[in-house]
Amino acid sequence: MSALSLAGSTRVGDLALGVDLEVEPGETVAVLGPNGAGKTSLLRLFAGLLALDSGTLAIDGATVDDPGTGTFLPPHIRRVGWVPQDRLLFPHLTVAANVGFGPGTDSDRVTGLLDTLDLTGIADRRPDECSGGQAQRVALARALASDPVVLLLDEPSTALDVESRHLINGVLAADNAPATLLVTHDPVEAATLADRLVILEAGAVTQAGSPAEVRSRPRTRYAASLVGLNLLEATASGAMAVTTLGTRVVLAEAADGPVHLVVPPTAVALHRSAPDGSPRNVWQAGVTDLQPAFERIRVVLDGPLPVVAEVTPAAVEELGLRVGSEVWAAVKATEIVCHSI
Amino acid sequence: MRRLLLTLAGLAVVLLVLPILGLLQRMPWSSLPDLLADDVTLDALRVSLVVSLIAAMFVLVLGTPLAWALGRTDLPGRRIVRALVVLPMVLPPVVGGTALLFALGRRGLVGQWLDRWFGLTLPFTLSGAIVAATFVALPFYVIAVEGALRTARRELDDLEGIASTLGAPPFTVLRRITLPRLLPAMGAGLALAWARALGEFGATITFAGNLPGRTQTLPLATFLALQSEPERALALSLVMLVVALAVLLPMRDRWLPGR
Repeated sequence: MSALSLAGSTRVGDLALGVDLEVEPGETVAVLGPNGAGKTSLLRLFAGLLALDSGTLAIDGATVDDPGTGTFLPPHIRRVGWVPQDRLLFPHLTVAANVGFGPGTDSDRVTGLLDTLDLTGIADRRPDECSGGQAQRVALARALASDPVVLLLDEPSTALDVESRHLINGVLAADNAPATLLVTHDPVEAATLADRLVILEAGAVTQAGSPAEVRSRPRTRYAASLVGLNLLEATASGAMAVTTLGTRVVLAEAADGPVHLVVPPTAVALHRSAPDGSPRNVWQAGVTDLQPAFERIRVVLDGPLPVVAEVTPAAVEELGLRVGSEVWAAVKATEIVCHSI
Repeated sequence: MRRLLLTLAGLAVVLLVLPILGLLQRMPWSSLPDLLADDVTLDALRVSLVVSLIAAMFVLVLGTPLAWALGRTDLPGRRIVRALVVLPMVLPPVVGGTALLFALGRRGLVGQWLDRWFGLTLPFTLSGAIVAATFVALPFYVIAVEGALRTARRELDDLEGIASTLGAPPFTVLRRITLPRLLPAMGAGLALAWARALGEFGATITFAGNLPGRTQTLPLATFLALQSEPERALALSLVMLVVALAVLLPMRDRWLPGR
């Protein structure tokens, strides 16, 4: 039984939103899309702050919205936890009172959440005395305190400090975390938190699949430019990082500890022989796949740094690339973006 | 330029404060206890308090839903209603009283039915004084609360939405989110409306008359005393000054910012 099951449509202003989506218990799904694609409206639909025009929406197996039968359950009986983008803490209540707001909230659960999200020390503060990261943690604790079946997160780590992101990701990755739907336009956030990606453009789903699938075969220009980024887990020490495969990568700026390395496919240059000059990350790789992506070709590489390179069809021809070819790949240190985790 | 502005500003302060000083300077301090303790003063104070407090209650009960309808719904015609609501604020109170008389008087538009069906007579009664005070005071409250509702409309929508996803049914949302956010505006609006009801003169004397012990409020008693017994007028003025300060002082944080 799905935690969340939607097949329906509605209108929000000028936007026609029509989505088929299932989220299984314990699963985390990221909805990625450009501004105005209908991401937040989708969350409001699940929360019951927006109604379907047609179709059905079920939460935990129970239909909560079905205009066909006139069913519409109001938000307060849906058991959906909502963390809005601008947090929206209750300004007249303390942190502890915000977290414990839901009627029937278990006080031990509130205490536990305050502790897990490192909020105990600021439990008596008002929201206007909290930093952005603290406010986001309060909003998450408040949503989880009423024991939701589904957690809805709107841009959860926008402008977060590393400490807050770490705490929040820890809570979301815990075994007892509810099914989670997060909307974001940050591909790194989506790839690190989600089991599955859904690309939403102009109110419609243009692609759905695992992060690896979407990365290797983006179906739209948006997916290609944003989600098609290469993401490598590594451990940094100074201006050097070592990937999980043991490959050393030179960074432009010093970092420390576990990191995600983001390598744009367009930054991966391919050569027939070992290049000299400024690129400091150079390695030999085999071509395992060639995917046309609009005016470009995405070249999937294996080897010590398994990444996708995006090159022009002319370059593919010139280099004589086909599956099984051996090439030299190069990335400048300055093209690699390093995120601490 | 700066000197000119400061001179005019000083003049404004003098204009506002001088009358109060004049009042205090002429105050018959020695005979004050007797003047304050006699029946005319106490009756007027009692009538004033009863009229203004009951009017304030009506203002709260009727004005809050009206402010909500004007500030948070998209009902058609609310712009016209908003303009009509402000009318008693700009209308001379005597005109208001005259209008009330012709609408609610014994032979008035509605008054004749009130009299015939319920035996209810409003003109020249305590109830009439309350109606007159409510009529002039209501707009002050509605304007204040409606303004707050309109300013905070987006924020209230958001906060109420969040509260409902946390399992709070509509009445709980109203009690724990909406009302606490509106309380400052409601308090300020109610204080203003009450002060206006307390000071009401024109509509009251026109609609409810000037019957000692029944409809004679402090302002009416003061005006009457001025013609025969100026010392009493001063004493009554002092009572109202004290009451006005008692209302203003708790609100100084709101209206005297940057202390």
